[in-house]
Amino acid sequence: MAIRGSGFQRKSRAASDIPTCSLADIAFLLMIFFMVTTVFQTDRERPIVWPEAAAAEKIDEKQKNILNIWMERDGGVFMNDQAFMMDEVSDYVGPLYGASERALVISIRGDREVPYTYMDQLQKELVSAGVVRVVFAAQLEQSMQRERR
Amino acid sequence: MPLINQKRIKVSSEIPTASMADIAFLLMIFFLVTTTFPKDRGLAILLPEEGVEAQVSQSNVLHLIIQPNGIIDVRRGESQQVQQIRPQEVEAVWRQEVTANPNVIAAVKTHPQAPYRYMIDVLDALHAANAERISLQILEE
Repeated sequence: MAIRGSGFQRKSRAASDIPTCSLADIAFLLMIFFMVTTVFQTDRERPIVWPEAAAAEKIDEKQKNILNIWMERDGGVFMNDQAFMMDEVSDYVGPLYGASERALVISIRGDREVPYTYMDQLQKELVSAGVVRVVFAAQLEQSMQRERR
Repeated sequence: MPLINQKRIKVSSEIPTASMADIAFLLMIFFLVTTTFPKDRGLAILLPEEGVEAQVSQSNVLHLIIQPNGIIDVRRGESQQVQQIRPQEVEAVWRQEVTANPNVIAAVKTHPQAPYRYMIDVLDALHAANAERISLQILEE
């Protein structure tokens, strides 16, 4: 180490500051990486044909408090990507409803052609699970379509 | 302008790129903040509590019986008179009924083999007519 003021001190040629011109690029790269790899915790859609309703309103609840129950045309019940028998529904929904402190909203996503007897069984299961708030999910029907029908 | 006095204009021909990243960030943050995901839509109802059965006078009940072909039989209270209507007409019938009797309850009874969409059509019409008291049942043979 050179003694200060001795006259032999050599200036270091290496730049002492970190180069910042690529900082933004690195930040972008990281951000795009995380945006692409993030998956939201949702269940996969089942192949159903949606019923349509003109009076369909937005569900006024946080996404994490909504449980989708899919009902396929043949009466198959799906929740969180799993198939259920009709009489297992209340055993599965009941604990979830308790865990959400009675805030859980059930969104019934039924195929438009499913016979109503399955829907009735499903509603009875939900009643026995103690669920109160239920939404029959439907696509918004435009008034033009309604006039044509 | 005399040609002799003409000076070279010292304007840079490049677009400055130093603030490009800042602009991109600003736009990205703006869109991140303003993005809302589309919410699911549907017809909301409240299911009854288990074991609680409300006693309702028959005179306050409007029976809407949905047949498998989508035709709706309307029956008022205990009268045996049946009126057959289409789902589009439910809203008007309900409005008429409410002005006559504000305590009326819609009892929607669907045939077990009727497609779900006919029930949705009727529920939709009742929601459009601001019906509050709806009972969803299955038609017992």
